[in-house]
Amino acid sequence: MKQDSFSKLHPAVNLLFFIGAICFGVLLQHPVYLLAGIFASGVYYFFLNGRKGMKNILLMIPLFIFITLFNPIVNTRGVTVLFTYFDRPYTLEALIYGVAVAATFVLMLLWFGCYGKVLTGDKFTCLFGNLAPSLSLLLVMVFRMIPNLLQKAKQIVGARSSIGKGTAEKSSIKDKLGSGMTVIGVLTSWALEGSITTSDSMRSRGYGTSKRTSFTVYRMTNTDWILTFVMFILLGVVIFFAANGGMNAEFLPERNITPINGFNVIGFIAYLGYLMIPTILNVKEVIQWNISRSKI
Amino acid sequence: MEHFKIENLSFSYPTSKDKKSLDNVSLRIEKGEYVVLCGKSGSGKTTLLRHLKTVLTPHGKRMGEIYFNGAALKDVDNRTQSAKIGYVMQNPDDQIVTDKVWHELAFGLESLGCDQKTMRSRVAEMACYFGIQDWFHRDVAVLSGGQKQILNLASIMAMQPEVLILDEPTSQLDPIAASDFLNTVRKINTELGTTVIITEHRLEDIFPYADRAIVMDSGRIIADDTPRNIGKLLYEQNNPMFTAMPTPVRVFYNADGDGDCPLTVREGRAWLNKEFEIKPQIAEIPCKNIDDDIEYPALSLKELWFRYEKDTPDILRGVSLEIPASSITAIVGGNGAGKSTTLKAICGICKPYRGKIKVFGKPVNKFKSGELFRNCISMLPQDPKSLFVKNKVIDDLAEMTKKKNKITEIAETCQITELLENHPYDLSGGEQQRAALAKVLLTEPKILLLDEPTKGMDSFFKETFASILQKLKEQGITILMVSHDVEFCAKYADRVSMFFDGQILTTETPQNFFGSNSFYTTAANRMSKHVFKNAVTAENVVELYRKNKGGTV
Repeated sequence: MKQDSFSKLHPAVNLLFFIGAICFGVLLQHPVYLLAGIFASGVYYFFLNGRKGMKNILLMIPLFIFITLFNPIVNTRGVTVLFTYFDRPYTLEALIYGVAVAATFVLMLLWFGCYGKVLTGDKFTCLFGNLAPSLSLLLVMVFRMIPNLLQKAKQIVGARSSIGKGTAEKSSIKDKLGSGMTVIGVLTSWALEGSITTSDSMRSRGYGTSKRTSFTVYRMTNTDWILTFVMFILLGVVIFFAANGGMNAEFLPERNITPINGFNVIGFIAYLGYLMIPTILNVKEVIQWNISRSKI
Repeated sequence: MEHFKIENLSFSYPTSKDKKSLDNVSLRIEKGEYVVLCGKSGSGKTTLLRHLKTVLTPHGKRMGEIYFNGAALKDVDNRTQSAKIGYVMQNPDDQIVTDKVWHELAFGLESLGCDQKTMRSRVAEMACYFGIQDWFHRDVAVLSGGQKQILNLASIMAMQPEVLILDEPTSQLDPIAASDFLNTVRKINTELGTTVIITEHRLEDIFPYADRAIVMDSGRIIADDTPRNIGKLLYEQNNPMFTAMPTPVRVFYNADGDGDCPLTVREGRAWLNKEFEIKPQIAEIPCKNIDDDIEYPALSLKELWFRYEKDTPDILRGVSLEIPASSITAIVGGNGAGKSTTLKAICGICKPYRGKIKVFGKPVNKFKSGELFRNCISMLPQDPKSLFVKNKVIDDLAEMTKKKNKITEIAETCQITELLENHPYDLSGGEQQRAALAKVLLTEPKILLLDEPTKGMDSFFKETFASILQKLKEQGITILMVSHDVEFCAKYADRVSMFFDGQILTTETPQNFFGSNSFYTTAANRMSKHVFKNAVTAENVVELYRKNKGGTV
């Protein structure tokens, strides 16, 4: 993966950004705002995941179409009837509302995809380590266990297949299930056995002797503070315009969408600016790097 | 002043009725001492070490007293014990608690409730001292076994312990990682003055530096002396632990040497120099050359190419090898060179994208599914535990065949008859290896593949294991093993192949192969190279020594 400059910020800043992006992504149903959300999340998702990400983004298109077309089937409100089937109306308003719902859904998926890449397990536990030390430790141990078990499962399957106990491609589903169950059984006892050692190792390093503190490798830098400040200002502007009805959008039963003109544009710019923060940071980094390299 | 004082300690586990795991053990360990504890598996080493830290002490009947820094250990509070007494266990994986290297380093400090500033400096200090900076931000899951064990050590050292207790820390590591680890331990002892108490199979790396060696047998301390003197004691008692002594020590006593016993290869060379100031008359172990034309190879590999993923480098880069039937072939070579991958390729776990594998002249892809592993090929994996799926050894064996007498017979061969009713996980490393071998043998293979079979085995078990292999060879089974253990290969293999850079470079007899190497060879050969030719095992050296001395006296 390419180095993502947004991920290098303090986890608290990352979390704040995603809370803002995801909350407003759900609350703001205005088509222009939704478009902005999809655009920003799509660009960032593509940056984080590269070509594999593009494939995922393209997979969203059929999902988008499906939700859009499906919505009028369950929702029959709306004044403009396009056609009727089984005595049920299929309305234009519900179809447009479907577009909005689908857009919200896709945008959420994309933001959560980015969230998973940026706020990795250790960052998450670092944020909440001081609030709930035991819970965060539990999470950390789970993060450790999953790759461990997967690797062991692979090892067991390999070992069994090389003594002729593997499942051949043509074996029946019953055989496959049976051998799968065996592997799971072994994994369980293996994990239990390992957990005895782990608990010994924890107690031997003083676990439970006093109140736990939480070590973190992250520090709030100046950039972090500045960005937090900028994010709050932008969010403030968005909230101000939202409260004054600058982003209202109603679909049912009648379309009533506030146009983005005049003063309201400021609200839109603030929103787009907010969402583009990760991308802007990355672009800035690339430019800076190229400039500093050309000086060498 | 002594650090630990153990007075008349006896202990028995609740499940073992009268058998004492520790029998009247008395011991004093001074501050800053480097003490090595040796003994066969099951001699009570681990039980003794676990008594030195209250949270790890096993349940059972106990008598006697342990003092730490002059106070009874049970009165020393947990917090102090956690910080002052560091304990490193055998399994590198299970000891690690968290998912990131930096977090693991801080784990103990977090538990003690240290503040952020102290933790920062301590963690930084440890990362530098142990050379962890480069992988500080990594996931624990991607580390090698050696790195994991160094991480375990570092995370304990971050708490600044006064005593470091290590229970067979290198048994799961390859020789290079193991000697790195042991060097680090020695560095801690000499540079920081931390008291070190260690149990270990690989005495060659420890003996020259340890202050004291303690030998245990059936829960009792049978010898407690400097490493230089301990060999003599064991040799005179005819103790099986003598086989675990470093090569120079074994050669010295078996050859009835005079004077100070050599501990290192350097001292061994000096001793041989003194003994043979005039060139010896018989200076060579006769050895035959290898037969290059094998008429009917049991297994033949031709130009195998393999890589794990599309855009990763090739692991196998044209591996070619022919193996004659009823022989033991060993593949030696560096870490991650692709030795294990070769075995996996033969078993079809990895599919080479180019090249041919023939088993008894028949290409493997011509075998019907399952046929290859029925009475034909079988592999003993690196971790024998991955073969056990049942709660009893006997049930595990019964999974392979319905013939009762076959199971009894194989159990006999592998010497696990008494262990059949045990849970496979309760067995020691060497016992697990033999139980797994029994399971593998029940497929009645003609070709047996072994992946690092001697890992985690003590020297005593190795001999038993080797005798089993010899027996199988006599029965006509072809054995191909991959190993780091040069001493084992030199002693028991018929042919040794060198694996390097994704290929097999040479195949020779052990005498020719190790005899002509000067770095990648056995301690016996390094020690005797300047006087004897092709003496690659301690037995070879002793034989030549006796022949010459017998002739001159």
